[in-house]
Amino acid sequence: MQKESAIREPLILGHKSYKDITDDVIAPITGPAPLGWKILITISSIIAIYGVAQILYLIGTGIGVWGLNKTVGWAWDITNFVWWVGIGHAGTLISAVLLLFRQKWRMAINRSAEAMTIFAVIMAAVFPGIHMGRIWLAYFVFPLPNQFGSLWVNFNSPLLWDVFAISTYFSVSLVFWYIGLIPDFATIRDRMIKPIPKKIYSILSFGWSGRAKHWSRFEEVSLVLAGIATPLVFSVHSIVSMDFATAVIPGWHTTIFPPYFVSGAVFSGFAMVQTLMLIMRKAFKLESYIHVKHVEYMNIVIIVTGSIVGVAYLTELFISWYSGVEYESYAFINRFSGPYSIAYWTMMTCNVISPQLFWFKKIRRSLLATFILSIVVNIGMWFERYVIIVTSLHRDYLPSSWGEFIPTATDIGIFIGTLGIFTTLFLLFTRYFPVLALNELKTILKSSGESYKNKQDK
Amino acid sequence: MKKVFHVMYDDDETLLAAARELVAKGIHINEVYSPFPIHGIDPVIGIKRTRLAIASFMFAMTGTSLAILGMWYFMISDWPMNIGGKPSFSMIENIPAFIPITFEFSVLCGAHGMAITYLLRNGTLPGMPATNPDPRTTDDMFVMEITTDTNSMDDKKLEAAIKKTALFELSIKDVK
Amino acid sequence: MANTKRYWSGLDELDSTDAFKDIQGQEFPEAQSVDAFISDERHSSTTTGRRDFLKFMGFSITAATLAACETPVIKSIPYVNKPEDITPGVANYYASTYYDGLDYSNILVKTREGRPIFVKANTATGAGKANSRVIGSVMSLYDSARLQGPSSAGDASSWSEVDSAMTTAVANGTTVVLSNSIVSPSTTKAIEVLGAQHVQYDAVSYSALKEANSTAFGVDAVPHYDFSKAEVIVSIAADFLGSWLTTSQHDSDYSALRSPERGTQSQHFQFESAMTLTGTNADIRIMINPSDEGNIAAGILAALKGSSVSNLDEHTTAKVKAAAVALKAARGKSLVIAGSNDLALQTIVTAINQTLSNYGSTIDLERPSLAQRGSDSDVAKLIQDMNDGSIETLIIYGCNPSYDLANAVGFNSGLSKVKTSVCMNGVADETASKTTFIAPDHHYLESWNDLSIRAGRIDIVQPTIEPLYSTRAAQESFLVWAGAELTDWYSFLRTQYNADYTPAGMYSNADWNSAVHDGFLTEENDLVSPDYTGTIHTTIALSEVSSRKGGNFQLSTYVKTAIGTGLHAANPMLQETPDPVSKVTWDNYVTMSRTDMEAMGLNIYIAQANPASVVRVKSGDITIELPAFMQPGQKPGTVSVALGYGRGANGEFIGKAAYQTGENGDHLVADNGLPMPIGANAYPLTSQSNYDISIEATGAEYALACTQIHNTYMDRESVVKETTLGAFLADIDTPKGEASWNRAHALNVHQDVNNDGVIDSRDKKPTDAFDLWHSHPVEEVGHRWGMTIDLTTCTGCSSCVTACHIENNVSVVGKDEVLRHRDMHWIRIDRYYASDYSLEKGAEEGVNIISSYGKMEDPSENPQTVHMPMMCQHCNHAPCETVCPVAATTHSNEGLNQMTYNRCIGTRYCANNCPYKVRRFNWFNYKGHDKFQNFNPAADSLTRLVLNPDVTVRARGVMEKCSMCVQRIQEGKLDAKKSGTAVLDGAIETACAESCPSNAITFGDLNDDGSKVNAISKNNRSYHALEEIGIKPNIFYMTKVRNTDSQ
Repeated sequence: MQKESAIREPLILGHKSYKDITDDVIAPITGPAPLGWKILITISSIIAIYGVAQILYLIGTGIGVWGLNKTVGWAWDITNFVWWVGIGHAGTLISAVLLLFRQKWRMAINRSAEAMTIFAVIMAAVFPGIHMGRIWLAYFVFPLPNQFGSLWVNFNSPLLWDVFAISTYFSVSLVFWYIGLIPDFATIRDRMIKPIPKKIYSILSFGWSGRAKHWSRFEEVSLVLAGIATPLVFSVHSIVSMDFATAVIPGWHTTIFPPYFVSGAVFSGFAMVQTLMLIMRKAFKLESYIHVKHVEYMNIVIIVTGSIVGVAYLTELFISWYSGVEYESYAFINRFSGPYSIAYWTMMTCNVISPQLFWFKKIRRSLLATFILSIVVNIGMWFERYVIIVTSLHRDYLPSSWGEFIPTATDIGIFIGTLGIFTTLFLLFTRYFPVLALNELKTILKSSGESYKNKQDK
Repeated sequence: MKKVFHVMYDDDETLLAAARELVAKGIHINEVYSPFPIHGIDPVIGIKRTRLAIASFMFAMTGTSLAILGMWYFMISDWPMNIGGKPSFSMIENIPAFIPITFEFSVLCGAHGMAITYLLRNGTLPGMPATNPDPRTTDDMFVMEITTDTNSMDDKKLEAAIKKTALFELSIKDVK
Repeated sequence: MANTKRYWSGLDELDSTDAFKDIQGQEFPEAQSVDAFISDERHSSTTTGRRDFLKFMGFSITAATLAACETPVIKSIPYVNKPEDITPGVANYYASTYYDGLDYSNILVKTREGRPIFVKANTATGAGKANSRVIGSVMSLYDSARLQGPSSAGDASSWSEVDSAMTTAVANGTTVVLSNSIVSPSTTKAIEVLGAQHVQYDAVSYSALKEANSTAFGVDAVPHYDFSKAEVIVSIAADFLGSWLTTSQHDSDYSALRSPERGTQSQHFQFESAMTLTGTNADIRIMINPSDEGNIAAGILAALKGSSVSNLDEHTTAKVKAAAVALKAARGKSLVIAGSNDLALQTIVTAINQTLSNYGSTIDLERPSLAQRGSDSDVAKLIQDMNDGSIETLIIYGCNPSYDLANAVGFNSGLSKVKTSVCMNGVADETASKTTFIAPDHHYLESWNDLSIRAGRIDIVQPTIEPLYSTRAAQESFLVWAGAELTDWYSFLRTQYNADYTPAGMYSNADWNSAVHDGFLTEENDLVSPDYTGTIHTTIALSEVSSRKGGNFQLSTYVKTAIGTGLHAANPMLQETPDPVSKVTWDNYVTMSRTDMEAMGLNIYIAQANPASVVRVKSGDITIELPAFMQPGQKPGTVSVALGYGRGANGEFIGKAAYQTGENGDHLVADNGLPMPIGANAYPLTSQSNYDISIEATGAEYALACTQIHNTYMDRESVVKETTLGAFLADIDTPKGEASWNRAHALNVHQDVNNDGVIDSRDKKPTDAFDLWHSHPVEEVGHRWGMTIDLTTCTGCSSCVTACHIENNVSVVGKDEVLRHRDMHWIRIDRYYASDYSLEKGAEEGVNIISSYGKMEDPSENPQTVHMPMMCQHCNHAPCETVCPVAATTHSNEGLNQMTYNRCIGTRYCANNCPYKVRRFNWFNYKGHDKFQNFNPAADSLTRLVLNPDVTVRARGVMEKCSMCVQRIQEGKLDAKKSGTAVLDGAIETACAESCPSNAITFGDLNDDGSKVNAISKNNRSYHALEEIGIKPNIFYMTKVRNTDSQ
């Protein structure tokens, strides 16, 4: 078994044994629900219900209940969509890319990060659905055989690419996540005393028994899935960005979008992971598994991706001037000096300036600072999408049709609602699912566990 | 009429050592149950490398060809339309627009195909009963399964050999 | 002798059996009393078993479910005997004529299955085209506010009742008929039969103009102005393209001399305070105070006579001199006109035209206009008499004096003193609601009439539908009340043309039949030949005008293109047709100059969340409160108010659409509990000259719904191309794409295009040389429908907007939605003002680009204007098509960008990706949602009848846009097929092209080398808007040329 240099900070603090890990992770499932959890889930589910009500109102009345108009045909709907998809990316990235790079620190966070991915992608998928004028005909987007004979979809449309990208991304992440969960469900199954939960978990665990052959297949599958998921995660946001990049609207028609969107996605995703992890480790006393070192690693990723995003913003500006296209240059001048300049500057501050603070080790390792900044970053990333979509649309080619977008209560309500649904799902996850990858953690206990490291020193 | 030895160890490394020791004595180890993968056990107890990766590749390729074939049929062959003046005359001219979906569909098939094969081959499916000899094997215990019928040694010798290893617990069952 | 016959109910009765006897008394012999029934033991013992219960349950649930599944059946009754001239699905056109006192137009009425659904110009008469008011008038036929029969004192009554009352009233007691200018010979006769005094007036009075001409030349009529000969036009606040006199012909004649291909271009000076539609088209527009109008005229006269121009500021003086020079040069080929109803001014203008010897050439008094007969003095006298009580009976016909008289107050008080009054208006409007009786006249689409706007031609009005309600032709009422023996109006009318007419021989008269078919008949009549040389005494006039002084603020009134004099206030289509200049819909407002508004601290930028500030205008003892609207070109120190608003202010029900609606679509209610009218009535202001008014901010705010909130085109030359006549003539023969004023957009390429040995920035290729892929063939393959739009001749009159709106069943969405930028117009007219600023100017002044752009957003104080009709450009490389995931919008083989409504899922991606932003989304279920109940035609069970059956009413959640009237293209192709010919050029017309009075829009087959559109598209003035995007539209625009060099 491989050794790890003693200088490296241990990833598992305290004198943990295999058993301790199991107990620590299973505690929230077997034990009674903590009060904080109860309060949180109440609040979030109320918000969730409000959101659902707003969505039903929208579907019942018409898109007109949003603030959209003839000039600005997309605003909060697609902004939220891109924002949620972006958030989703961190999970896959952590579990797939970091797995390929054999980053052990991922093991503490990948499970919940993947859960976050799943839920975020579900939220994302809501918006392309409800933004349709006639959602009841949503099945038109699939190339289904139909009574009209040759009535097929348009494979040239980026929106159709989205349909495939998002559905693939969602289902693959789901499978990836669940295959990882099976052995852990088995562990829980064998710990459960009460018959009903035991039954449920034994169904969920698919009768896993931890045979050597199964383990070797398990590792193979994880590896291959990781290998597939890595290009997938990059492709998905590239395709999302093509919704804009392939359009003719100044401010959208930009070849820089794919890499820019992907890094932006990772950026916001990691921020969201931070937000959730920091709460979770406190709530479920996982301090010894998710601690400063992990936070620091993620903050480093945030600096890197944040800087890429910043460079992308500046490149856009430069190109808009360098291209010499009057529409292009005006679109960008309008971004930072026009009616929506506040959005632009919020985006700039939150996404470009704030992550740079992580260059300071103190801030990078401060949990509070991280928590605040992670939220700031997510606000910034929401505004990035808002800026790209709304400020590009509201003043495009013909000044005669220049307009303005003003959100309605329903616009806002639905966005808040999705936050509620997301939180509810995540809370349920933390309560009934193993929030850490048990089996994986156990493999690194000896190489990166504090107690064992100390033994090595002796 | 055979005897089944379930030899339990409290550490993966001890089990690995024991396994090496026993195998050296020519004892065949049927199965190992562990809470997490014990790296290096496969060659010792003679487990061949899985071919799931190849399967996955096959599935992916199927996806690729399906996607390309489908899009060719929908857009070029069955009902070509003038959409924004883009060419619907030949596949070649249209290919660039088809790449994203081709890729996504390959991934879809590759991932799901492999996942399903994996579950089927393992026989791990919803509602399947657990077959691990001891619930602790999913927690912190490591069990080796040795049977008399797969070994030339008689049970006494076998037991003696097993007892020599740093075992934590040993359970012997008679199975018809 | 009494009838002794008896009938038996049966044999029982006949031989009265006992059984019969004991049931004889009972009403229901078989029935048993309820008590007897329930007291019956047998019933109480009966039970319904569980199984039975379940059976019933099962049955009833199934039944209920089935009932629910059943789709509602709308029964349509087939023709038992098919009317010979009605083929379902095929439209019939009837020639008719529209006249409402303001507009006069020869029209063709399109009917489908007997319903009039569209009105267009009958060009056979060569008398211009129909303007938006006329086109929109078809809606009023189906107005649910129309009276369904006569009424007396507000209660429904019967014709006989009204007739008896009126006959006596007319017979004893002085009777007066008050009407708008009557241009129908027969109607005049019918009124004469009544033997009553006849007073006529026009809502907008031309009394002074008439008087000036009569004193000068002894012809008591408004002359006919021939703009087709006028090379130089000087208009002093006369909006001759929008509302001055009978505009229908002005537009076409005016624009005939505008197109520069003929080597020159007419020159148009406009002196005005408000920015009128005409002003936006002027080559040279000078902002003046209303009080100076007289001085301008005097100045021109002086300059012509070579004497000095006085009483005017330097700049205006210069322009007046320039105008005079131009006029002199075009002696006999010029026109000077003045808008205001002011005798002194009109006298001077008459003198000017005489000096220029325009009478007899561009101005015609031999065959003058027969409309505008109103005389202010007669009306004044009538009101006087009414108040003296010397008038017993007043018959009001075709006018709304209680609303549109300057002295409506006096009239109303007089009306209360009149013993018997009757109004013949179709709705219980301001006047009708005050009269003793209402004897509703037919709608013009239901009635017969003969009209003559100029001697020599009589236009026929023929009914196109059976009267919807029990209304009666006003003329028939006259005859009945007069007690004439021939009371049938149609026979009376016919008798005027052939004395020996008998109903039996109704169809026998070939001349009449052809007249009805053509819509007009010509008749010889001896023309007056006035002496144009008589001296005109201008001294008094001159001294009067020179004495006029203005205060800090002056006010002028004007008539809006859509609503006119107020007649169309209840017409939602017209209410939603944006004002061609301000682009405001559904509202009336005070236009003010930017400087004044800044001085008063009023809101200048008006948009969704930026309401206008309400101001109080006080002139004499008249006060009105209206929102203030910043109007570039408005003379600082002046304000202008539109007439025709504030209809139904006292709760008269003149139509659902005539009142303000809230966000939920309900009528807003004013403090007095009555529905809130739109805008305020400005007619009282016309009673006086408003040279000294006061204006103050009330502090209140009011939302104005504009369809365009941005005014300038930001120097985007690939959108609008304009030049001056001189520059144009310099390059008139250069091939397309090379002229200085229309250079094709070229992109740099990395190859030595110009063969100068080096590859540098001079190596360029035109955009159409680039193509990412080998694209679908469009040239020379079957049809390729396209359009050309001439920015030079387009006056922005908005007829196309209304025509398209009605032809394509475009939803009317109301003020609140327009405010949210959700107007549904398939064609809109982008109106751009010139800005003083430009990036070049910024560069010179060293101003940074950002603030330059900022400054470019502001139009100049007196801007030049471009009207740019904008609809779907039907791009051959349409960006909207490629992005649709479900292929709901695709390209037809004939170059059309087509929408498949029932495939659309409403992602709006196409609309976002449309560079022209011409796609419109159905945000709500417009025909069902409460918000639209009060104005959307499709939401009203009666108004729905106006919908065009060839065009689907779009469902909620789908995208729509200009289809290039694909239904008409289809019809045209089928007709050609039936007649076995090719589709001839001009056989198919889109609604917009057809309705364009200045023929700025040409539609046709670009692949047909012989076609007009093909020729124009090759003209060196034509270009593609935003051609550098390379989306290859099928719509061509033609560079705007202004005749401004001499200035």
